[in-house]
Amino acid sequence: MTKRRSVGIVVLVAMAGAWELVSRIYTGEAAPGEPMVPGWEVVFTRTLRSLSDYWGGGLGVVAVSEGGKRTYEGALLAIGANSLDTIARLFAGLGLGGVGGTLLGLAVSWSRWTRFLVQLPGHVVRTFPLLAMIPLFQLWFGISFVGMMLFVAYGAGVIFFVGTINAVKNVPPIFIDYARVLGASRLRLYRTVILPAIFPELRSTILLSLGLGWTLVLGAEYLGAQTGLGQIIVYSEQFAYVDRMFLVALVFVLYASLSYALFDRLSRRLVQWVPRGGP
Amino acid sequence: MAGATSATGFHSEAANRWQLRAGLRRAVRPAELLGVLGLALVLGFWWLMTLVISRTALPLPQDVFARIADDFGGAPELALYGVGQNGLLSSMIYTGENVLVSVAIGATIGTVTGLASARFRLAREIIDPIVLTAGTIPILVAAPFFLIWFGVARISALLLVILYVSTILYIFAQRAADNLDPVYEDAARTLGATPRRVIRDLLVPGTVPEILGGIRIALGGAWGLEAIAELLGLPDGIGKIIQVLSQQTDAEGIMAAIVFLGAVAVLFDALTAVAFRWLTRWSATWA
Amino acid sequence: MIRIENVTRTFRRAGGGTVHALVDVSVEISEGEFVCIVGPSGHGKTTLLQLVAGLLPPTSGKIVVDGVPVTGPGPDRGVVFQRDSVFPWMRVIDNVEYGLRCRGVPKERRRAISRSYLEAVGLDGLERSWPRELSGGMLKRVAVATVFATGAKVLLLDEPFGPLDYVTRHQLHDVLLNLWQATETERARTILFVTHDVDEALTLSDRILVVKQGRLVDDMRSTLPRPRTTDSLVVPEALRHKHVLLSHLGLEAPGPSGAVATGAGA
Repeated sequence: MTKRRSVGIVVLVAMAGAWELVSRIYTGEAAPGEPMVPGWEVVFTRTLRSLSDYWGGGLGVVAVSEGGKRTYEGALLAIGANSLDTIARLFAGLGLGGVGGTLLGLAVSWSRWTRFLVQLPGHVVRTFPLLAMIPLFQLWFGISFVGMMLFVAYGAGVIFFVGTINAVKNVPPIFIDYARVLGASRLRLYRTVILPAIFPELRSTILLSLGLGWTLVLGAEYLGAQTGLGQIIVYSEQFAYVDRMFLVALVFVLYASLSYALFDRLSRRLVQWVPRGGP
Repeated sequence: MAGATSATGFHSEAANRWQLRAGLRRAVRPAELLGVLGLALVLGFWWLMTLVISRTALPLPQDVFARIADDFGGAPELALYGVGQNGLLSSMIYTGENVLVSVAIGATIGTVTGLASARFRLAREIIDPIVLTAGTIPILVAAPFFLIWFGVARISALLLVILYVSTILYIFAQRAADNLDPVYEDAARTLGATPRRVIRDLLVPGTVPEILGGIRIALGGAWGLEAIAELLGLPDGIGKIIQVLSQQTDAEGIMAAIVFLGAVAVLFDALTAVAFRWLTRWSATWA
Repeated sequence: MIRIENVTRTFRRAGGGTVHALVDVSVEISEGEFVCIVGPSGHGKTTLLQLVAGLLPPTSGKIVVDGVPVTGPGPDRGVVFQRDSVFPWMRVIDNVEYGLRCRGVPKERRRAISRSYLEAVGLDGLERSWPRELSGGMLKRVAVATVFATGAKVLLLDEPFGPLDYVTRHQLHDVLLNLWQATETERARTILFVTHDVDEALTLSDRILVVKQGRLVDDMRSTLPRPRTTDSLVVPEALRHKHVLLSHLGLEAPGPSGAVATGAGA
């Protein structure tokens, strides 16, 4: 475990070193004064300060658009504010989609009726290419928090739907029979047997939806949000500010990695009973 | 008694492994067999929704299908914006080519490296951290960089999808090889199999179900990824059409393009499923 | 002939510390013998078999089969595993042929050999079946046919029939004994058969080794006439052996006949 972690750190350092090396060797420019591969020094000085462009003013820091200077404080405030927007969209969507998708997935095995109602439409809907549907959500809900949140919820819901169906199918029938023999009602069966039994498998579903969620919120922000990390990236792309794209992308990747690590640590505790460390 | 307990343990262990595949397959099969009925339900829901939502935001199903037919071979309203001169079909061919080529390349890279990593310690120690680090990066983050570095051209979309597919297949292939019951390899070795034979006769066939499952998942994601690369600036493709139409808030056109793309994605998924069945016909689960 | 010389095997425990699976085991097994290895679970029987198979290297000591030291799995030794090792992605006939294919036997010949063994284990007509279509007992028949088909002179069976029901198990005993006694090869096959079932050992073997806490604690020879029937197991010699074995397994106190009576060594 610790060895694995240290190898991971070595790889990260190697990747960072390779980036720096490439930035020194290849000095091509995306636009005059904007290097294709910005070195670390530039990224953490000039680039970082330039992010204060995205701070709308307040908290004692004047917005650049209103004549303020580019400062580190402004940059950090800008990153923080936009991060909050992105993260709020992500987790609101994940929560909604997770609960909805799981319930719909459970409905498939609940009774013949619910299966008939849910299963087929669910499977048809899930085959549609998600990322291509962003413009549709924009059209329906506008470029708004609700639109982006619903889009993330839709994507996460699909994953939870499929993940729950598979997980329920993989519950060894003996557990269900056993609970039935002991006289458990259907509700109790779901609460005390099926939910705990599917959790280890749902763990990978949650991880999967977390990964997809970051991608979806990014995609939604690429295509026309007013705030958020994705918006900064795609806005910078239009002006060929590779350094800004890179810095914001780093922040974004950092958040994603942290969210995986955090979830891993939390969920590991809940699945201690799973033989051989779980899936 | 001891015999009986070990018997159930034995069976459930083997069964569990196949059950995972069964779960995947069973989850998909009704969609194929009864897809028509499911589609009808979705259409019915859609039609109901048009009663409460304005037509400009949610066009009638029949209008969308009519639009697909109209724009199929040529779309003057799109040609005005320099895309889809030859209609939805020509753009779909562009999108489809990109997807299939990059899935083929990405799946090959991912499978070979994934299987190698499961067998050779050194390969695993080198590749694992790279893939795990790269795997935590939401793939879409890379898209704008590719578009700047390699231009708003086909190559950027190809690289993006290849990266995505190969990461998935690496993980699937490695996991499949790790999950392959070691008793098979012990048996093969005691029967005199050389390491090359072990790879050819055990590793590859034994992991095929999971690898194909991975390819299906990757293929499903690839359509969307390709589409968003096109939305972000590629010169052609279904995504490009969606982008042009969304600037005019043409809901009918957007939905026509998405439904068409979805139908093609479903078709390819079904084709993969057929290949899947044939190649895994030995598998215990759908007997 | 199998010579096991002062073999010790230790394992490292996951939480640290070592487990002595086998301690200084020495034994010689002559050609054509049917030897059962009996002992409580987790006391080193399977480890001993895996060492002879070459799937594990000994920590110290050595194993020599027909004058050649064991350094890994070899064509002279075949193994039937406790768990199902029949490849699910190959049809039955391809499974049985697999060992021959690894030895480069031409197609026609290996087909003929595999067919004859499939027939010998009573599975003729199922060549083209998938393993998933077979019952547990049939899968064991396939595994037995597969190792016999390779022509290996030493066969190692690791509680092969453990998970099977009573009837199937007895059918497989007959299958195994028939194949062992068949004299189609110029040399008899040597069988090492791990079991925890005392009756199974008494029914099958010429000789019973008892492994307990990693040590070889007893070595008994059975002179019961073959073929053995239900009655063979109630003759005084068989009963004496049975009592000794049961006391080794801790199911009976060492009786007057005495666990030590038969003594170790050949």
